[in-house]
Amino acid sequence: MLRYAVHDFRRNMRMVESVFFMIVLPTALYLMFSGMNGDANAPAGQGNVAAYIMTSMALYGAVLATSGIAGSAAVERAKGWGRTLALTPAAASSYVASKVLVALAISVLPVAVVMTVGFLTGAEISGLRWLTTAVIVVLGSAAFAFYGLAAGLLFRSEAAVSVSSGLLVVLSFFGNLFVPLSGIMLDIARFTPLYGLAGLARWPQLEGTVAANGPGVPPDEMWFLVLNLFAWTVIFGGIAILAARRGTSRM
Amino acid sequence: MTTAAIALRNLRKTFRSAEGDLRAVDGITLTVEPGEVVAFLGRNGAGKTTTLDMVLGFTQPTSGSVEVFGLTPRHAIEQGLVGAVLQSGALLDDLTVRQTMEMVAALHGPVDVDDALRRAGAESIASRKVSKCSGGEQQRLRFALALLPNPELLILDEPTAGMDVNARRDFWATMRAETKRGRTVVFATHYLDEAEEFADRTIVIDGGTIVADGTTADIQGHAGTSTLSCRWDMVDGDPAALPHVLTHTMDSGHLTCQTANTDALARHLLTRTSASQLAISPARLEDAFVTLTASGKAQT
Repeated sequence: MLRYAVHDFRRNMRMVESVFFMIVLPTALYLMFSGMNGDANAPAGQGNVAAYIMTSMALYGAVLATSGIAGSAAVERAKGWGRTLALTPAAASSYVASKVLVALAISVLPVAVVMTVGFLTGAEISGLRWLTTAVIVVLGSAAFAFYGLAAGLLFRSEAAVSVSSGLLVVLSFFGNLFVPLSGIMLDIARFTPLYGLAGLARWPQLEGTVAANGPGVPPDEMWFLVLNLFAWTVIFGGIAILAARRGTSRM
Repeated sequence: MTTAAIALRNLRKTFRSAEGDLRAVDGITLTVEPGEVVAFLGRNGAGKTTTLDMVLGFTQPTSGSVEVFGLTPRHAIEQGLVGAVLQSGALLDDLTVRQTMEMVAALHGPVDVDDALRRAGAESIASRKVSKCSGGEQQRLRFALALLPNPELLILDEPTAGMDVNARRDFWATMRAETKRGRTVVFATHYLDEAEEFADRTIVIDGGTIVADGTTADIQGHAGTSTLSCRWDMVDGDPAALPHVLTHTMDSGHLTCQTANTDALARHLLTRTSASQLAISPARLEDAFVTLTASGKAQT
C-alpha cells in the first residue's frame, strides 16, 4: 500500500498544471487580502492580523489540494481503475488509506509556500506556534481528503471535481476563512465542516478568539472545535469507504 | 485428485431492479481442471460476464458456490493465482505503460515487471503514454498486468473486442505461449471462430444456464450439418426439390444449402444437375450455436 502511495504521489506531482494552481492561488489570495487589509500589522492574539490571514489561506490551499486528489480518485473510479486494482491482493480500504496519505503529502506544499511567503512579508506569530499551526493545518486537511474522496466516489465524474472544489469555497466562507462572519451567519457557520478545523488551526495564535465584524463574540471552546472536526471526519470517511466498496460492481 | 481450477455449484445471480428481477446466472454447475483451455460462448447478456465476475469475486452470488483452486475468489486473487483481462478494466491515461505496471506491481508481492511486459509483447511500448496507445496496445498492457503475479488461471472477458484482425492474431499467438506453460485459461467470447480455433472445450451459455458443454468437436457435431454452396443454373428448376437439403438460400444464381449428408448431395449435384463451383464447409460452430440456443438445452 505504501509503495502504491509513493507511485501515486509521484504521478500527481507530474501533473504540473494542477499543482501550480494549488500553490499559487492561495499564495496570491494571501498577498491580496493582507495587502488590502490596513490592519495587517495590528496584533491578533499571539501574532498579528497578517498571520491570521496567512493561516486561513494555508488551510484553504491544503484543503484545495486534498480535494484535488479526490478529483483524481473520482476519475479513476469512474473509468474502472478500481476493477483493475481489484485483481490485486490490495483491499478497497487500503486504496482509501493510500489516497489519504498522498493527499496529506501533497497538502504540505501549499502550507509550506504560503507560510514562507507570509513570514517573508510581515506575518508574525510568537515562538514556535507557527509550527503547531502548520501541523494542525496539514493533519486536519486529512478530513478533507475524505470529503473530496466521498464526493468523487459517490458521483464518479469530472463534474464531481468541479462541484467539490466549488463547494469548498462556500465551506471556506462559512469556516470563517475569508471575511469574518457575525450574527446568524456565524451561528450557522459553527456547524459547517470547515469551521472546526479553521478554529483549531488558529488556536495557537488566537486560542479560540473569534474575529468578528460585530460586537464581541464569545470565544470558541476547544472541545467544540475538536468535536466539529471529528464528527465531519467520521461522516466523510464513512461515506468514502461505503462508496469505495461499491466501486467494483458494474450495475 | 487435483483441486479444480474453477468449481461452480448451482451458481445463481439475480439482479433486482424496478422492472423486476433479472436472473443473469440461473443455476450453473461446472468444473474447470487445471491446464484446460475453455471458451464460454454466448450472446451478449447470456450471463458469461456475470459468471466471470463471480469467479473473480467482483460480485457475490445470490446462491450456490464458487471456488477457485479450492479457495474463495478473493483468496485466490490474494494468493496471486488469478490474472484477468477485462473489457471494463480501466487504465490511467497519464501514465506510461511501464509506470502503470509498476504502480499495480506495488500492490502485489514481489513480481517481475519486465518479464510480464516481455511475455505480453509490450516491451516495445513500455515508455509510451497509455493515452497514446492504440486499442490493441492497451489490451497488451492489460494482458501484461494480468501476467504480473504469474497466475495459474487466466480469465479473459472478450479479450479481442474492438481489435483488428492483425491485433487479434498477435494476441492469440501470445496466448498460445501461455497455455503451453500449462496455465488454465477461461475466455468469454461471442466470436465463434476464436472458440473454434483456440479452445479445447466450449461451454455454451444462454439465458444464464449452460446449454452445451463439450469439446469443440462435440459441439460442432450437435449441428450435424455442413454447408454446401454452388452456382445454380435455373435450367435445373427449383432447388427446393433437391434431396438431402435441410434449408437453402438463393442469391442471384448462388445457392447455399445446409445438409446432413454432404456426400450424397454433392454426388447428386455433380451427376444429375448442371450445378458448378461446389464448395463444402464442415459444420461450423456458428451453426451449432444457433441451433443450440434456439432450441434450448441439448443433450451432451
